[in-house]
Amino acid sequence: MTRQSPPTDEPSTLIGPGIFVRGRVSGEEDLHVEGRLEGSIELTETVYVATAGIVVATVQARDVVVSGVVVGNVTAEDSVTLNAGAKLVGDITAPRVIVADGAAFSGNVAMGGEPPPPRKERRQPTRRATPKPAAATRPAAKPSTKASKASPTRVAAIPTPRAARRDEGDDTVVVKHAEVDENKRSAGKKTAKSRKKAPPRARVPKPGKRRVGRR
Amino acid sequence: MANTVIGSTIVIDGEITGDEDLVVQGTVKGRVGLRQNIHVEESGVVEANVETATITILGTVTGDVVASERAELKSNCRVVGDIHAPRVLIADGASFKGNVDMDG
Repeated sequence: MTRQSPPTDEPSTLIGPGIFVRGRVSGEEDLHVEGRLEGSIELTETVYVATAGIVVATVQARDVVVSGVVVGNVTAEDSVTLNAGAKLVGDITAPRVIVADGAAFSGNVAMGGEPPPPRKERRQPTRRATPKPAAATRPAAKPSTKASKASPTRVAAIPTPRAARRDEGDDTVVVKHAEVDENKRSAGKKTAKSRKKAPPRARVPKPGKRRVGRR
Repeated sequence: MANTVIGSTIVIDGEITGDEDLVVQGTVKGRVGLRQNIHVEESGVVEANVETATITILGTVTGDVVASERAELKSNCRVVGDIHAPRVLIADGASFKGNVDMDG
């Protein structure tokens, strides 16, 4: 049955089921392996490993079609095909790799020929970025009260110089009152800093500070 | 008829063994050990020691040939090496250099 399968018209090489080849096989025509071959294969055409074929070799060819057993790394310029019933243990390097249902394969596959298509994940963040400002504008536009309630923190966060000075003034004023106790308890760096900060601001009395301090 | 064919552009550097007919159209280097027939075509080149039952040479063989039954050298073939076979046929026009041993 298998003897009839290879075409006899084209010049092709057949290693029959009763043949055992050990060594290096190279050439420029199709090679059908129905027997056993160990070593290496280098072809510019197609290597066919028939169902009964056993190849324990590193294989380099344009195409590799495996229906039998191959143990070794396979490198093809065009394609590697594993038909049903094929067993391959080794790495595949080929731009096209076809593995049929029922094929057994263990190894790495490297398809270096074509770059992978660009992923769509990059489009999603741009879509997410556009709804965010829309969602932010919606609550601000609809409820004015919420915006006013939420605003004071922002107003303080966008400090007018006066507001910032008032906050600092609060600290200094509190320190002034606490200076006496703190100096008695411990002369820390904080009190020293407070002394340095306090006198110039106390010397420049502003109505705003006094009001804040009294609060 | 012949099961195994080594094509004209194929080079096998190593060892071929088996129990099957072999047709060599390409190049075989190393060692060939068969129990059946070897047919070296006109384009075939065998640079190996050959052990077989019968061998028919139309091409080039370099190496010792041991045939258990018959060795036939067709015309225009080139054989360099010793031949051990009970029956040796050398056709007119064949080129042969080596020893012949028909003691079997």
